[in-house]
Amino acid sequence: MNLMRPRPRAAALLALCIAASAATSTQAHAPDPSLGGALWAQNQQLTFRWRSGAEPPAAIKTAIRNAANASNATRASKAATFTYSASGASPIGYGPGATCGVNGIGCFTRTAPDGGFTMWLREHGRVFDWGTLRWCQMVANPPNGCYDAETIALDEFGHIQILAHHVNYSDDRDYLDAVVQTFSRTKPKDGWNMHVYGRCDVATLQLRYDTTSATAKYSTCLKLDTTLTISASPTSVAFGATTTLTATLKVAANDAYARLRGNPVSGRTVTLQRRAPGTTTWTAVGSMAAGSTAGTYTTAVKLQTAAEFRAVFTKPSGEGLVGSTSSVVKVTVGSCTTSCPLSAPLRISGDR
Amino acid sequence: MPAHAHLRIVVLVGSFAMALGACAGSPPPSAAPVVTPASPDPSGQASPTGAPGIPAEPPDIALRVEGGDPVTGQLGTYTWGDGGSDAPWLPGAPLRIGAGEALVARVDPLVAISAWRAQVVPWDADGPAGGVQLGSGTGDPSFPAPDPGRWTVHLDVTYAAGLGSANYFWQVDVE
Repeated sequence: MNLMRPRPRAAALLALCIAASAATSTQAHAPDPSLGGALWAQNQQLTFRWRSGAEPPAAIKTAIRNAANASNATRASKAATFTYSASGASPIGYGPGATCGVNGIGCFTRTAPDGGFTMWLREHGRVFDWGTLRWCQMVANPPNGCYDAETIALDEFGHIQILAHHVNYSDDRDYLDAVVQTFSRTKPKDGWNMHVYGRCDVATLQLRYDTTSATAKYSTCLKLDTTLTISASPTSVAFGATTTLTATLKVAANDAYARLRGNPVSGRTVTLQRRAPGTTTWTAVGSMAAGSTAGTYTTAVKLQTAAEFRAVFTKPSGEGLVGSTSSVVKVTVGSCTTSCPLSAPLRISGDR
Repeated sequence: MPAHAHLRIVVLVGSFAMALGACAGSPPPSAAPVVTPASPDPSGQASPTGAPGIPAEPPDIALRVEGGDPVTGQLGTYTWGDGGSDAPWLPGAPLRIGAGEALVARVDPLVAISAWRAQVVPWDADGPAGGVQLGSGTGDPSFPAPDPGRWTVHLDVTYAAGLGSANYFWQVDVE
């Protein structure tokens, strides 16, 4: 009897619950939903080739290569990368052989992490029930109503990563937040030639694949709580001696934050504040310096009187982190024994 | 494949869909057979293989009013299994109805729906912006006709068990 047998089933069910939840609980102005399949490995290098017998014309090849480069350059995460190689593992095709359904102009399959992917673009000039497909890249002076092949290819690369279609507000005012859209736009409507991932595309790539480093910025499509802790070493010093305050800033340990959960956050502005014990008014000491480990910030302070300290991280304007304030740490100071001043001013070591 | 193996797959997939419904907080799918997409073609074709009983693409959806003929909607953008297709905003399949009639959708082949949303925009719109919602829910879609005039009705469907989602279009003349 295999007692372990139910466990993988439970794990698989949990994983599907998460995937289904991600796909159905999305609200407008939120990160893109995710497709239900598996992820690629972090920074997995995916290579593509032109499908034999269905090679795109030169202009479309250029557009697809540019889209791959745009995906690599703007993923802002450890999502997979796409590189053209004549012997690449995954075929990209163009033309009447495309298996994009009756009305589709571009389509994809993905079999992560080991099976590669496919992409197809329909041929320029194909007549559909809805009209004639025009790729802007295929004419010298692109007319209104043409589709930008680089934008469509970037949309497909986004799907191949894991992204499902962004859910827009009913008036589409957030359309530019994502290139992975249910309805791609034609020239000259806003967003017809997006050549970078939108912030809500990036948000999901970060959630699913993680950011590139502790100093990397989080997408403004996210709203991640942070935790800020503080410690003093030592917590009791002799008169005029130094204590070192160390603050640690992390993304909150929230399961919904997926791979971002608990990430250390470096390179931000964390401010140290102090007050006298028994008082309520905080005074800024200054910005804390980067610590020796990711997410830490330190300040050394010489003390002649006891003091309470806290660290403050104010919400930055250019990224999706929420501000936080640490709890309070108290540092006591021993009595003065020699050459005591009439008052005991606070002095900070270092450059201050 | 032996018959008992088919039965086992149906039972497993059905149980799976019910469990998913439970974890998503939505009602369990109906007792109708639930299908699952096939794996991508190993040859690299960009569509599921269409194994027996399993549609290679999202199912058709037809709209009808009581006593009327069903009209299959135009299939637009969808994700299905391990793949998907991106299509434009579509004009829709022509459908003529009377004011105040109720529209009922029929899925063929039958695949359980976990969520749907129907909206209407003027027939000459080139996208969903400014659409007015006609209805939403779980299970088989049904919703009231829009006011008299010519409209595009857009139905956004999410299929159960993580099968995928799809968009359907009708050009509806309401008399």
